[in-house]
Amino acid sequence: MTGPAAVERTVARALLWGGLLSVAVMIAGLTIYAAQGQPHARDVVRVVRNRQAGRAVDVFTSVEDVRRALGHRPIDALAVATLGLLGLLATPVAGVTVAVVSFWRHGDRQYSLIAAAVLAMLCVSLALAGGG
Amino acid sequence: MSPLEFVVALFATSLVAGAAGAILGLGGGILLIPVLTLFYGVDIRYAMGASIVSVIATSSGAAGAYLRTSLGNVRIGLFLTLATVSGALAGAGLAGVVPVRWLQLLLGVALAYSAFTTLRQLHVEVPETTEADPLALRFGLEGAYYDAPLDREVKYRATRVGRGFAAMFGAGVLSGLLGIGSGAFKVLAMDYFMRLPMKVSTATSNFMIGVTSAATAGVYFARGDIHPMLATPVAVGVLAGAVLGTRLMGRLRNTTVRKAFLPVVGYLAVSMILRGLGLGLP
Repeated sequence: MTGPAAVERTVARALLWGGLLSVAVMIAGLTIYAAQGQPHARDVVRVVRNRQAGRAVDVFTSVEDVRRALGHRPIDALAVATLGLLGLLATPVAGVTVAVVSFWRHGDRQYSLIAAAVLAMLCVSLALAGGG
Repeated sequence: MSPLEFVVALFATSLVAGAAGAILGLGGGILLIPVLTLFYGVDIRYAMGASIVSVIATSSGAAGAYLRTSLGNVRIGLFLTLATVSGALAGAGLAGVVPVRWLQLLLGVALAYSAFTTLRQLHVEVPETTEADPLALRFGLEGAYYDAPLDREVKYRATRVGRGFAAMFGAGVLSGLLGIGSGAFKVLAMDYFMRLPMKVSTATSNFMIGVTSAATAGVYFARGDIHPMLATPVAVGVLAGAVLGTRLMGRLRNTTVRKAFLPVVGYLAVSMILRGLGLGLP
């Protein structure tokens, strides 16, 4: 297999497995939520139609909130689902990171640097978003 | 509508959006946002949060499959992502300085022109590469894939790379300024400027939209716009739809994909022009 084809397969695996694993965690979270018989489950339609009603109860807005909620017992099912969401949002970044390493390992310094530049700009974007 | 019916309906809608997004190189937001807001009555901010999740889910499912079959090109994708992400950063910095309505109008006219040019090359199956672009040679912007409907390997090389890169930067600036996804512009730039096969353009766009969306996803999350009970069925449906879409695209001709893409460009052009004129479309 040629260098570019090998890199493409490695990045493909990172993206596909990242997506599948994240979605599996999200499904697990919602399954637990339904099994726990949460009263809010009855209000799911109302919640997504009314942002204020939903935001206070069900929505996490920081990684720290999710981490803290995951430590609760019984387990916070929506924190599990949000963990899966965060995994999904991080999957493209993981794909680019894998590309940096994979191009480097196949001796393609030029594209390893290009991928690293994209990764650096993504980090700047995320930092600006966090600051904003 | 009961919660279960709501989740099943969302899943089914997202399945279609994911399949369409995977074939057309878009994130599915163009279909999802109007459906979520108009048919399901979802709050626009949650709909936009679900849309960004759908873009990344489409990208993960579709780009994963396309890169494995060499229909997507990771080198071209990364090279052009340099332009879109730096453009988006510049655009975000210009927000509030540049008159948005004029930009929307300009963008709408540019899209209308692109729709016209797409119409002219509607029947071009695989564009002929007539010029050896020095930038394409320098950065190895070429590839090959097996085309099932043609039953042969199709080799391609990008042309007019400078113009394509500039168009991508412009798309990134608009994306940063207007907060819109730019999958359609990416496909147009690769198809029209760089003369890549249409299927390579949409497949590579699938990789790029995931990366560029990741840059803004954190904002939506931090604002509380991504609701897990809405985003989960959307992500599951879109991912499944994207995987189905990639299988379907392998059997489609480039001309079929271009014909399916044309109405999307037309809709975007009209939508942008109307917004620029101060009128609205969903």
